[in-house]
Amino acid sequence: MVRLEPYSPTPAARAGRVFMVVAPFVMGLVCVLLSFVPLGRIFGSSLTPAFALMAIYYWAIVRPEMFPPLAVFTVGLVFDLLSGGIIGLWAFVYVLIYAVVISQRPLVVNAPFAVFWFGFLVVAVFTGAISWAVVSIYYGRPVPPSSLMQHMVLTVAIFPIFAMIFGRVQARVLPGS
Amino acid sequence: MDPNRTALPFREFSHRISLVFMLTLAAALLLLGRAETYVFDRARQVVTDLAAPLLEVASRPVAAARRVIERTDEYAYVFDENERLRAENARLLAWKEMALNLEARVARYEALLNVQIDPSINYVTGRAVSDAGGPFVDTVLVNVGREQGAKSGQAVVDTDGLVGRIVSTGPKASRVLLLTDLNSRIPVVIEPAHYKAVLAGDNTEWPRLEYLTNISAISPGDRVVTSGDGGLIPQGLPVGLVIQTSDGNLRVQTFADRGRLNFVRVLQYEFPSQVERQDPPDVLKGPPISSSADSAASAAANSTGTE
Repeated sequence: MVRLEPYSPTPAARAGRVFMVVAPFVMGLVCVLLSFVPLGRIFGSSLTPAFALMAIYYWAIVRPEMFPPLAVFTVGLVFDLLSGGIIGLWAFVYVLIYAVVISQRPLVVNAPFAVFWFGFLVVAVFTGAISWAVVSIYYGRPVPPSSLMQHMVLTVAIFPIFAMIFGRVQARVLPGS
Repeated sequence: MDPNRTALPFREFSHRISLVFMLTLAAALLLLGRAETYVFDRARQVVTDLAAPLLEVASRPVAAARRVIERTDEYAYVFDENERLRAENARLLAWKEMALNLEARVARYEALLNVQIDPSINYVTGRAVSDAGGPFVDTVLVNVGREQGAKSGQAVVDTDGLVGRIVSTGPKASRVLLLTDLNSRIPVVIEPAHYKAVLAGDNTEWPRLEYLTNISAISPGDRVVTSGDGGLIPQGLPVGLVIQTSDGNLRVQTFADRGRLNFVRVLQYEFPSQVERQDPPDVLKGPPISSSADSAASAAANSTGTE
Protein backbone atom coordinates (compact mmCIF):
# COMPACT_ATOMS: atom_id res chain seq x y z
CA MET A 1 0.00 0.00 0.00
CA VAL A 2 1.31 3.44 -0.95
CA ARG A 3 1.77 5.80 2.01
CA LEU A 4 1.40 9.49 1.35
CA GLU A 5 4.06 11.78 2.79
CA PRO A 6 2.64 14.56 5.00
CA TYR A 7 2.58 17.84 3.05
CA SER A 8 5.08 20.42 4.23
CA PRO A 9 5.16 23.69 2.24
CA THR A 10 8.46 25.16 1.15
CA PRO A 11 9.58 28.54 2.64
CA ALA A 12 8.70 30.23 -0.66
CA ALA A 13 5.22 28.75 -0.55
CA ARG A 14 4.84 29.89 3.06
CA ALA A 15 6.01 33.39 2.17
CA GLY A 16 3.54 33.46 -0.72
CA ARG A 17 0.73 32.39 1.60
CA VAL A 18 1.64 35.10 4.12
CA PHE A 19 1.72 37.67 1.33
CA MET A 20 -1.73 36.58 0.15
CA VAL A 21 -3.10 37.05 3.66
CA VAL A 22 -1.56 40.49 4.20
CA ALA A 23 -1.87 41.80 0.61
CA PRO A 24 -5.04 43.89 1.22
CA PHE A 25 -3.50 45.44 4.36
CA VAL A 26 -0.23 46.17 2.55
CA MET A 27 -2.23 47.78 -0.24
CA GLY A 28 -3.99 49.92 2.38
CA LEU A 29 -0.61 51.10 3.71
CA VAL A 30 0.63 51.78 0.17
CA CYS A 31 -2.51 53.85 -0.38
CA VAL A 32 -1.69 55.87 2.77
CA LEU A 33 1.82 56.56 1.47
CA LEU A 34 0.42 57.43 -1.95
CA SER A 35 -1.77 60.08 -0.32
CA PHE A 36 1.38 61.96 0.65
CA VAL A 37 3.14 61.70 -2.71
CA PRO A 38 2.62 65.12 -4.31
CA LEU A 39 0.91 63.73 -7.43
CA GLY A 40 -1.23 66.85 -7.83
CA ARG A 41 1.88 68.96 -8.43
CA ILE A 42 2.20 67.40 -11.88
CA PHE A 43 -0.83 69.51 -12.81
CA GLY A 44 0.03 72.42 -10.48
CA SER A 45 -2.58 71.44 -7.88
CA SER A 46 -2.33 70.42 -4.24
CA LEU A 47 -5.45 68.22 -4.31
CA THR A 48 -4.97 64.60 -3.32
CA PRO A 49 -7.71 61.96 -3.25
CA ALA A 50 -8.41 59.73 -0.22
CA PHE A 51 -6.67 56.61 -1.52
CA ALA A 52 -6.95 54.86 1.86
CA LEU A 53 -10.74 55.24 1.87
CA MET A 54 -10.90 53.52 -1.53
CA ALA A 55 -8.89 50.57 -0.23
CA ILE A 56 -10.97 50.26 2.93
CA TYR A 57 -14.28 50.37 1.03
CA TYR A 58 -13.15 47.93 -1.64
CA TRP A 59 -11.78 45.28 0.71
CA ALA A 60 -14.60 45.69 3.25
CA ILE A 61 -17.08 44.83 0.49
CA VAL A 62 -15.09 42.24 -1.43
CA ARG A 63 -12.98 40.38 1.19
CA PRO A 64 -13.78 41.70 4.69
CA GLU A 65 -12.08 38.71 6.35
CA MET A 66 -8.77 39.84 4.80
CA PHE A 67 -9.13 43.43 5.99
CA PRO A 68 -10.09 43.16 9.68
CA PRO A 69 -10.85 46.14 11.98
CA LEU A 70 -7.27 46.08 13.32
CA ALA A 71 -5.96 46.66 9.77
CA VAL A 72 -8.41 49.54 9.26
CA PHE A 73 -7.39 51.10 12.57
CA THR A 74 -3.67 50.76 11.73
CA VAL A 75 -4.15 52.33 8.30
CA GLY A 76 -6.01 55.27 9.88
CA LEU A 77 -3.43 55.71 12.64
CA VAL A 78 -0.49 55.68 10.21
CA PHE A 79 -2.34 58.29 8.17
CA ASP A 80 -2.83 60.42 11.31
CA LEU A 81 0.84 60.15 12.27
CA LEU A 82 2.04 61.03 8.77
CA SER A 83 -0.39 63.90 8.19
CA GLY A 84 0.55 65.85 11.31
CA GLY A 85 -3.13 66.48 12.01
CA ILE A 86 -5.41 65.40 14.85
CA ILE A 87 -4.26 62.08 16.30
CA GLY A 88 -6.97 59.44 16.04
CA LEU A 89 -9.16 61.38 13.59
CA TRP A 90 -8.81 59.09 10.58
CA ALA A 91 -8.41 55.98 12.74
CA PHE A 92 -11.81 56.77 14.27
CA VAL A 93 -13.51 57.84 11.03
CA TYR A 94 -12.21 54.87 9.03
CA VAL A 95 -13.21 52.27 11.66
CA LEU A 96 -16.66 53.86 11.92
CA ILE A 97 -17.07 53.88 8.14
CA TYR A 98 -15.85 50.28 8.00
CA ALA A 99 -18.54 49.28 10.50
CA VAL A 100 -21.22 51.00 8.39
CA VAL A 101 -19.94 49.42 5.16
CA ILE A 102 -19.86 45.94 6.72
CA SER A 103 -23.45 46.35 7.95
CA GLN A 104 -24.65 47.35 4.45
CA ARG A 105 -22.43 44.89 2.59
CA PRO A 106 -25.24 42.54 1.38
CA LEU A 107 -26.73 45.42 -0.65
CA VAL A 108 -23.58 45.92 -2.69
CA VAL A 109 -21.62 42.68 -2.68
CA ASN A 110 -22.91 41.08 -5.90
CA ALA A 111 -24.40 44.20 -7.47
CA PRO A 112 -23.27 45.76 -10.79
CA PHE A 113 -20.32 48.15 -10.73
CA ALA A 114 -22.59 51.24 -10.95
CA VAL A 115 -24.19 50.27 -7.64
CA PHE A 116 -20.75 49.57 -6.16
CA TRP A 117 -19.63 53.05 -7.26
CA PHE A 118 -22.82 54.69 -5.98
CA GLY A 119 -22.21 52.95 -2.63
CA PHE A 120 -18.76 54.53 -2.57
CA LEU A 121 -20.29 57.95 -3.28
CA VAL A 122 -22.57 57.54 -0.24
CA VAL A 123 -19.61 56.37 1.86
CA ALA A 124 -17.51 59.38 0.74
CA VAL A 125 -20.30 61.80 1.69
CA PHE A 126 -20.69 60.07 5.05
CA THR A 127 -16.91 60.12 5.63
CA GLY A 128 -16.74 63.82 4.78
CA ALA A 129 -19.62 64.67 7.11
CA ILE A 130 -18.24 62.65 10.04
CA SER A 131 -14.69 63.95 9.68
CA TRP A 132 -15.91 67.56 9.29
CA ALA A 133 -18.05 67.22 12.44
CA VAL A 134 -15.17 65.72 14.48
CA VAL A 135 -12.68 68.39 13.34
CA SER A 136 -15.17 71.21 13.98
CA ILE A 137 -15.88 69.90 17.49
CA TYR A 138 -12.13 69.47 18.12
CA TYR A 139 -11.33 73.08 17.16
CA GLY A 140 -14.55 74.48 18.66
CA ARG A 141 -15.66 76.20 15.44
CA PRO A 142 -16.93 75.13 12.03
CA VAL A 143 -14.08 74.43 9.63
CA PRO A 144 -14.49 75.73 6.04
CA PRO A 145 -15.64 72.65 4.09
CA SER A 146 -14.50 73.72 0.59
CA SER A 147 -11.22 71.76 0.49
CA LEU A 148 -12.94 68.71 2.01
CA MET A 149 -15.60 68.76 -0.72
CA GLN A 150 -12.99 69.04 -3.49
CA HIS A 151 -11.06 66.17 -1.85
CA MET A 152 -14.12 63.91 -1.78
CA VAL A 153 -15.29 64.78 -5.32
CA LEU A 154 -11.84 63.86 -6.66
CA THR A 155 -11.86 60.65 -4.59
CA VAL A 156 -15.22 59.52 -5.97
CA ALA A 157 -14.22 60.50 -9.52
CA ILE A 158 -11.10 58.35 -9.65
CA PHE A 159 -12.47 55.42 -7.62
CA PRO A 160 -13.16 53.25 -10.73
CA ILE A 161 -9.44 53.28 -11.65
CA PHE A 162 -8.43 52.05 -8.22
CA ALA A 163 -11.29 49.55 -8.05
CA MET A 164 -9.95 48.10 -11.31
CA ILE A 165 -6.40 47.89 -9.88
CA PHE A 166 -7.64 46.24 -6.67
CA GLY A 167 -9.73 43.86 -8.78
CA ARG A 168 -6.67 42.81 -10.81
CA VAL A 169 -4.68 42.19 -7.62
CA GLN A 170 -7.57 40.23 -6.16
CA ALA A 171 -7.89 38.05 -9.27
CA ARG A 172 -4.15 37.34 -9.57
CA VAL A 173 -2.93 37.12 -6.00
CA LEU A 174 -5.76 36.14 -3.70
CA PRO A 175 -6.97 32.54 -3.53
CA GLY A 176 -10.57 31.63 -4.26
CA SER A 177 -11.30 34.84 -6.21
CA MET B 1 -21.73 17.94 14.21
CA ASP B 2 -20.24 20.17 11.55
CA PRO B 3 -17.53 22.32 13.18
CA ASN B 4 -18.05 25.08 10.56
CA ARG B 5 -21.56 25.70 11.90
CA THR B 6 -20.13 26.79 15.27
CA ALA B 7 -17.05 28.47 13.81
CA LEU B 8 -18.99 30.94 11.69
CA PRO B 9 -21.00 32.64 14.46
CA PHE B 10 -17.87 32.68 16.63
CA ARG B 11 -15.90 34.40 13.86
CA GLU B 12 -18.67 36.95 13.40
CA PHE B 13 -18.85 37.52 17.13
CA SER B 14 -15.07 38.06 17.43
CA HIS B 15 -15.21 40.38 14.39
CA ARG B 16 -17.86 42.51 16.10
CA ILE B 17 -15.97 42.59 19.39
CA SER B 18 -12.83 43.63 17.54
CA LEU B 19 -14.77 46.36 15.72
CA VAL B 20 -16.15 47.80 18.96
CA PHE B 21 -12.73 47.61 20.61
CA MET B 22 -11.01 49.43 17.72
CA LEU B 23 -13.70 52.10 17.64
CA THR B 24 -13.30 52.69 21.38
CA LEU B 25 -9.52 52.78 21.05
CA ALA B 26 -9.72 55.32 18.21
CA ALA B 27 -12.12 57.51 20.22
CA ALA B 28 -9.77 57.29 23.21
CA LEU B 29 -6.86 58.33 20.97
CA LEU B 30 -8.83 61.37 19.83
CA LEU B 31 -9.25 62.48 23.44
CA LEU B 32 -5.75 61.49 24.57
CA GLY B 33 -4.14 63.18 21.57
CA ARG B 34 -5.02 66.57 23.03
CA ALA B 35 -3.59 65.84 26.46
CA GLU B 36 -0.59 63.58 25.91
CA THR B 37 1.29 65.34 23.16
CA TYR B 38 4.85 64.19 23.88
CA VAL B 39 4.24 60.49 23.14
CA PHE B 40 2.38 61.23 19.92
CA ASP B 41 4.93 63.83 18.80
CA ARG B 42 7.66 61.24 19.29
CA ALA B 43 5.65 58.62 17.36
CA ARG B 44 5.08 61.18 14.60
CA GLN B 45 8.77 61.91 14.31
CA VAL B 46 9.61 58.20 14.05
CA VAL B 47 6.96 57.56 11.37
CA THR B 48 7.93 60.72 9.51
CA ASP B 49 11.60 59.81 9.48
CA LEU B 50 10.78 56.31 8.24
CA ALA B 51 8.48 57.58 5.49
CA ALA B 52 10.57 60.58 4.36
CA PRO B 53 13.11 58.59 2.27
CA LEU B 54 10.29 56.63 0.57
CA LEU B 55 8.39 59.83 -0.15
CA GLU B 56 11.53 61.49 -1.47
CA VAL B 57 12.08 58.65 -3.94
CA ALA B 58 8.40 58.71 -4.93
CA SER B 59 8.36 62.49 -5.38
CA ARG B 60 11.25 62.52 -7.87
CA PRO B 61 9.25 61.17 -10.84
CA VAL B 62 6.50 63.66 -9.93
CA ALA B 63 9.01 66.53 -10.06
CA ALA B 64 10.37 65.20 -13.35
CA ALA B 65 6.87 64.96 -14.86
CA ARG B 66 6.13 68.48 -13.66
CA ARG B 67 9.33 69.73 -15.34
CA VAL B 68 8.35 68.04 -18.61
CA ILE B 69 4.93 69.73 -18.56
CA GLU B 70 6.47 73.11 -17.70
CA ARG B 71 9.05 72.76 -20.46
CA THR B 72 6.34 71.88 -22.97
CA ASP B 73 4.39 74.98 -21.93
CA GLU B 74 7.53 77.09 -22.18
CA TYR B 75 8.28 75.85 -25.71
CA ALA B 76 4.72 76.62 -26.78
CA TYR B 77 4.96 80.22 -25.64
CA VAL B 78 8.69 80.85 -26.06
CA PHE B 79 8.38 83.79 -28.50
CA ASP B 80 5.65 85.57 -26.53
CA GLU B 81 7.60 84.98 -23.33
CA ASN B 82 10.75 86.40 -24.91
CA GLU B 83 8.93 89.58 -25.91
CA ARG B 84 7.42 89.94 -22.46
CA LEU B 85 10.79 89.44 -20.77
CA ARG B 86 12.46 92.07 -22.98
CA ALA B 87 9.83 94.63 -22.03
CA GLU B 88 10.07 93.67 -18.37
CA ASN B 89 13.87 93.87 -18.48
CA ALA B 90 13.72 97.43 -19.83
CA ARG B 91 11.35 98.41 -17.02
CA LEU B 92 13.47 96.70 -14.37
CA LEU B 93 16.67 98.43 -15.50
CA ALA B 94 15.07 101.76 -14.61
CA TRP B 95 13.97 100.30 -11.27
CA LYS B 96 17.49 98.99 -10.67
CA GLU B 97 18.99 102.50 -10.96
CA MET B 98 16.42 103.82 -8.52
CA ALA B 99 16.98 100.90 -6.13
CA LEU B 100 20.77 101.43 -6.14
CA ASN B 101 20.32 105.13 -5.32
CA LEU B 102 17.88 104.30 -2.53
CA GLU B 103 20.17 101.59 -1.18
CA ALA B 104 23.07 104.04 -0.94
CA ARG B 105 20.86 106.63 0.73
CA VAL B 106 19.48 104.12 3.26
CA ALA B 107 23.00 102.91 4.08
CA ARG B 108 24.07 106.54 4.73
CA TYR B 109 21.06 107.15 7.00
CA GLU B 110 21.65 103.91 8.86
CA ALA B 111 25.26 104.91 9.52
CA LEU B 112 24.19 108.39 10.71
CA LEU B 113 21.44 107.08 12.96
CA ASN B 114 23.51 104.18 14.27
CA VAL B 115 20.86 101.63 13.29
CA GLN B 116 21.39 98.14 14.72
CA ILE B 117 21.38 96.02 11.56
CA ASP B 118 20.21 92.40 11.70
CA PRO B 119 22.96 89.88 11.11
CA SER B 120 22.86 88.01 7.82
CA ILE B 121 20.66 84.89 7.77
CA ASN B 122 22.06 81.45 7.02
CA TYR B 123 19.87 78.98 5.21
CA VAL B 124 19.72 75.32 4.21
CA THR B 125 18.10 74.27 0.96
CA GLY B 126 15.92 71.18 0.74
CA ARG B 127 13.00 69.71 -1.16
CA ALA B 128 9.35 69.45 -0.21
CA VAL B 129 8.97 65.69 -0.48
CA SER B 130 5.35 65.19 0.53
CA ASP B 131 1.91 66.64 0.11
CA ALA B 132 -0.57 67.54 2.85
CA GLY B 133 -2.41 64.24 2.38
CA GLY B 134 -5.68 65.23 4.03
CA PRO B 135 -8.25 67.99 3.67
CA PHE B 136 -7.86 69.38 7.21
CA VAL B 137 -4.10 69.78 7.37
CA ASP B 138 -1.78 71.93 5.30
CA THR B 139 1.67 70.64 6.14
CA VAL B 140 4.48 69.28 4.00
CA LEU B 141 7.63 67.34 4.81
CA VAL B 142 11.01 68.74 3.77
CA ASN B 143 14.18 66.67 3.66
CA VAL B 144 16.03 69.01 6.01
CA GLY B 145 16.23 67.76 9.58
CA ARG B 146 18.01 68.41 12.86
CA GLU B 147 21.25 67.06 11.36
CA GLN B 148 21.20 69.98 8.89
CA GLY B 149 20.40 72.51 11.63
CA ALA B 150 16.62 72.76 11.28
CA LYS B 151 14.71 73.80 14.39
CA SER B 152 11.07 74.31 15.26
CA GLY B 153 9.88 77.82 14.45
CA GLN B 154 12.30 78.51 11.60
CA ALA B 155 10.81 80.18 8.53
CA VAL B 156 10.68 78.33 5.20
CA VAL B 157 10.71 80.27 1.93
CA ASP B 158 10.81 79.43 -1.75
CA THR B 159 11.64 81.61 -4.73
CA ASP B 160 8.26 83.37 -4.49
CA GLY B 161 8.07 84.14 -0.78
CA LEU B 162 7.24 82.76 2.66
CA VAL B 163 5.91 79.20 2.58
CA GLY B 164 5.41 78.53 6.30
CA ARG B 165 7.36 77.60 9.39
CA ILE B 166 8.80 74.39 10.81
CA VAL B 167 6.68 72.82 13.54
CA SER B 168 8.56 69.60 14.22
CA THR B 169 11.91 68.18 13.30
CA GLY B 170 13.36 64.72 13.08
CA PRO B 171 17.00 63.83 12.39
CA LYS B 172 16.54 63.88 8.61
CA ALA B 173 13.18 65.51 7.88
CA SER B 174 11.02 68.33 9.20
CA ARG B 175 7.33 69.18 9.02
CA VAL B 176 6.42 72.61 7.65
CA LEU B 177 3.13 74.23 8.64
CA LEU B 178 1.92 76.13 5.56
CA LEU B 179 0.40 79.61 5.75
CA THR B 180 -3.02 78.24 4.82
CA ASP B 181 -3.22 75.72 7.70
CA LEU B 182 -5.86 76.19 10.37
CA ASN B 183 -3.18 76.54 13.06
CA SER B 184 -0.90 78.97 11.21
CA ARG B 185 -0.49 82.48 12.67
CA ILE B 186 2.17 84.81 11.23
CA PRO B 187 2.72 88.46 12.28
CA VAL B 188 2.71 90.62 9.15
CA VAL B 189 2.81 94.24 8.00
CA ILE B 190 0.70 95.59 5.17
CA GLU B 191 2.54 98.04 2.95
CA PRO B 192 2.54 100.91 2.13
CA ALA B 193 0.19 101.93 5.00
CA HIS B 194 2.41 99.91 7.39
CA TYR B 195 -0.45 98.49 9.46
CA LYS B 196 0.32 95.40 11.49
CA ALA B 197 -1.89 92.32 11.47
CA VAL B 198 -1.77 88.58 12.01
CA LEU B 199 -2.05 86.32 8.97
CA ALA B 200 -4.32 83.45 10.06
CA GLY B 201 -4.83 80.31 7.98
CA ASP B 202 -8.34 78.85 8.02
CA ASN B 203 -8.04 75.83 5.74
CA THR B 204 -8.96 77.82 2.65
CA GLU B 205 -6.74 78.95 -0.21
CA TRP B 206 -6.53 82.54 1.07
CA PRO B 207 -5.54 83.21 4.70
CA ARG B 208 -7.37 85.91 6.69
CA LEU B 209 -5.98 89.12 8.21
CA GLU B 210 -6.72 89.27 11.93
CA TYR B 211 -6.23 92.08 14.49
CA LEU B 212 -6.11 94.67 11.73
CA THR B 213 -6.69 98.05 13.40
CA ASN B 214 -7.62 100.14 10.39
CA ILE B 215 -9.30 98.21 7.60
CA SER B 216 -10.18 101.35 5.64
CA ALA B 217 -6.48 102.11 5.10
CA ILE B 218 -5.94 98.77 3.36
CA SER B 219 -6.94 98.13 -0.21
CA PRO B 220 -6.70 95.14 -2.56
CA GLY B 221 -3.27 94.90 -4.16
CA ASP B 222 -1.35 96.06 -1.07
CA ARG B 223 1.77 94.06 -0.34
CA VAL B 224 2.01 91.87 2.78
CA VAL B 225 5.42 91.14 4.34
CA THR B 226 6.49 89.62 7.65
CA SER B 227 6.74 92.09 10.53
CA GLY B 228 9.37 90.18 12.51
CA ASP B 229 7.32 90.62 15.70
CA GLY B 230 8.00 87.88 18.21
CA GLY B 231 11.54 87.40 16.91
CA LEU B 232 10.81 84.04 15.30
CA ILE B 233 10.60 84.98 11.63
CA PRO B 234 12.83 87.64 10.04
CA GLN B 235 11.32 90.94 9.06
CA GLY B 236 10.45 91.83 5.48
CA LEU B 237 9.93 88.41 3.91
CA PRO B 238 7.37 88.71 1.07
CA VAL B 239 4.12 86.92 1.94
CA GLY B 240 1.49 87.94 -0.61
CA LEU B 241 -1.00 90.52 -1.86
CA VAL B 242 -4.22 91.70 -0.24
CA ILE B 243 -7.33 90.59 -2.14
CA GLN B 244 -11.01 91.20 -1.56
CA THR B 245 -13.27 88.16 -1.67
CA SER B 246 -16.81 88.18 -3.06
CA ASP B 247 -18.24 88.57 0.47
CA GLY B 248 -16.21 91.78 0.95
CA ASN B 249 -13.59 90.38 3.34
CA LEU B 250 -9.90 91.15 2.96
CA ARG B 251 -7.73 88.09 2.56
CA VAL B 252 -4.22 87.40 1.29
CA GLN B 253 -3.22 85.67 -1.93
CA THR B 254 0.14 84.17 -0.96
CA PHE B 255 3.06 84.46 -3.37
CA ALA B 256 4.10 80.87 -2.60
CA ASP B 257 1.96 78.36 -4.48
CA ARG B 258 1.58 75.10 -2.53
CA GLY B 259 0.66 73.29 -5.74
CA ARG B 260 4.12 74.05 -7.16
CA LEU B 261 6.30 73.61 -4.08
CA ASN B 262 9.63 72.02 -4.84
CA PHE B 263 12.91 73.46 -3.57
CA VAL B 264 12.66 75.47 -0.36
CA ARG B 265 15.04 77.28 1.98
CA VAL B 266 14.96 76.86 5.73
CA LEU B 267 16.11 80.17 7.24
CA GLN B 268 18.29 79.73 10.31
CA TYR B 269 17.37 83.04 11.85
CA GLU B 270 18.38 83.95 15.39
CA PHE B 271 16.67 86.92 16.99
CA PRO B 272 19.48 89.48 17.40
CA SER B 273 19.17 89.87 21.17
CA GLN B 274 22.76 88.79 21.71
CA VAL B 275 24.28 91.12 19.11
CA GLU B 276 26.91 93.44 20.53
CA ARG B 277 26.16 97.13 20.49
CA GLN B 278 27.45 98.87 17.38
CA ASP B 279 28.94 102.26 18.30
CA PRO B 280 28.73 105.10 15.79
CA PRO B 281 31.89 106.11 13.93
CA ASP B 282 34.20 108.46 15.85
CA VAL B 283 33.61 111.36 13.43
CA LEU B 284 29.92 111.30 14.34
CA LYS B 285 30.52 111.36 18.12
CA GLY B 286 29.86 114.64 19.93
CA PRO B 287 31.96 116.13 22.75
CA PRO B 288 32.21 113.88 25.84
CA ILE B 289 29.08 114.46 27.86
CA SER B 290 30.36 113.24 31.20
CA SER B 291 33.26 115.83 31.56
CA SER B 292 31.05 118.85 30.77
CA ALA B 293 28.39 117.57 33.15
CA ASP B 294 31.04 117.17 35.90
CA SER B 295 32.38 120.69 35.40
CA ALA B 296 28.85 122.12 35.46
CA ALA B 297 28.12 120.26 38.70
CA SER B 298 31.37 121.46 40.37
CA ALA B 299 30.68 125.04 39.26
CA ALA B 300 27.24 124.84 40.82
CA ALA B 301 28.73 123.45 44.03
CA ASN B 302 31.35 126.26 44.22
CA SER B 303 28.75 128.95 43.73
CA THR B 304 26.62 127.41 46.52
CA GLY B 305 29.64 127.35 48.87
CA THR B 306 30.55 131.02 48.34
CA GLU B 307 27.08 132.22 49.11
